[in-house]
Amino acid sequence: MMYCYNCSHPLDETGVCPACGKDVRLYKKALFISNKYYNDGLEKALTRNLSGAVESLRQSVKFNKANIDARNLLGLVYFEMGEVVLALGEWVISKNLQPERNLSGRYLNVMRSNPGKLENMNQAVKKFNQGLVYCENGSLDLAVIQLKKVLSINPKFVKAHQLLALLYLNAQSWGKAKSQLMKCMKVDNGSVLTQRYMHEADKMMLPEERRQVANEKKKAAGNAVEEKHGNETIIKPVHRFKATSGFNISGLIVGLVLGIAFAVFLILPARVQQITEERKEALTAISEESDAKSAKILEYETRIAALESEKDTLTADIAALETSGDKTVNDALMSAVNLYLADATDIENISLAMEPVTEESLEDAGEDFQALYETLIAGVGKPMADRYYNAGYASYRANAYEEAIASFTKCCQYDKENADARYFLGMSHYALEDTATARRIFDEVMSEFPNSQRASQAESALAEINNAND
Amino acid sequence: MINFEEELKRFKPSAEVEDAEDSIYNQDLDDMADVVVSLLKDARQQTDYTRRFNRR
Repeated sequence: MMYCYNCSHPLDETGVCPACGKDVRLYKKALFISNKYYNDGLEKALTRNLSGAVESLRQSVKFNKANIDARNLLGLVYFEMGEVVLALGEWVISKNLQPERNLSGRYLNVMRSNPGKLENMNQAVKKFNQGLVYCENGSLDLAVIQLKKVLSINPKFVKAHQLLALLYLNAQSWGKAKSQLMKCMKVDNGSVLTQRYMHEADKMMLPEERRQVANEKKKAAGNAVEEKHGNETIIKPVHRFKATSGFNISGLIVGLVLGIAFAVFLILPARVQQITEERKEALTAISEESDAKSAKILEYETRIAALESEKDTLTADIAALETSGDKTVNDALMSAVNLYLADATDIENISLAMEPVTEESLEDAGEDFQALYETLIAGVGKPMADRYYNAGYASYRANAYEEAIASFTKCCQYDKENADARYFLGMSHYALEDTATARRIFDEVMSEFPNSQRASQAESALAEINNAND
Repeated sequence: MINFEEELKRFKPSAEVEDAEDSIYNQDLDDMADVVVSLLKDARQQTDYTRRFNRR
């Protein structure tokens, strides 16, 4: 629908506006031409002749700036070629000319919602401009590096492909130049510049290089078929395998089954073995620990038994000592000391009190006991010894040899220098036919009292014993 | 044979996003319709002037 430029009233087939009467013939002609260019641009865009589409669409908006479809399509084509800002410009203008029911609104929303993508494309443009500066300054290697970066960010940036191809042509890398130009043609097959460079590269390329590039092209396209329509070449794949959803699902299932089988037959046994080994080691360690603990328990039980036995023995000893009517050795000494302190001349009672204190008990006694004993003996030892000697001699004369032995033993205990008591003790044992003890005592008399009368008498008695044994 | 320097002159820097605002504002949005309207207006003015001049 066409609208009057003056009053915006819909126009009919006549050459004047039905509302304001303005002459609209030329105006309508301009609109028709704009539409014609739009159709031409659309056709070229559909066949990937982006450069031709740009020319046609720019003419279209020149004839009618309000041709929203042409402006939107122009923006699309610019965007596809990598010219982001030109695309945004066309869409913004289109949106301003027709705010409602305008596709450009959708395009702008997409750009707004993908700020990362916009930034990437902006970076590609910046790097392209930098590469161009490098070229102008003669730093061609840097320019190549920069342009490669640009194309890695935006592989459809036509100008970058063309500039890189130019650099390769300048460096006489015909194959690389052609490769870039072919990529460029995929995006925009109508660029005269691209075709010119392509012609130059073809002209300069050797047959091997041409074959290599053709192989790369085939590899990239797979099983492709080229169709020429006039000046345009359309490349279609012959057997294009389309993955259907059924294939995807079955592929997923097969993959899952293979994965499970792999896990069950390869991974699982090894893992099971590993776990089994770990369990065995743990079990071994526990067993060893258990054995060690059992041995310790046995040792403790043995010790407990021994300690209990010792305890029983000691308990019995204590009980025996507690129930016994005899005075203990300590009590005897204390009693004797008390009597001595009370009356040092009461030899008889002191002797009686000292009865339990024997030479054997002295061996087990402590130092304090022995010291007290020595002190007492130093005071009353000689008188006690004399008393026991007299009693012993009287018993010996009366042939009461056992009583004599007891008295003479006590005498020797209190007076170790009494040779007579020692001699008669031996004689008493001899009289009771205890020749072994008698021999021992006679030997003691001879060794301790060698120059005494009793020593010679002991020697005689000993000879008599030896003769009797022979 | 392609002349590198000459070919390089064909390449102009692309506009960056930071320059978008200026690029949009500086666009000349006059189309053929505006030109035609302007031509018609000029023609009418010329006609009016001629009529006034002839009346004298």
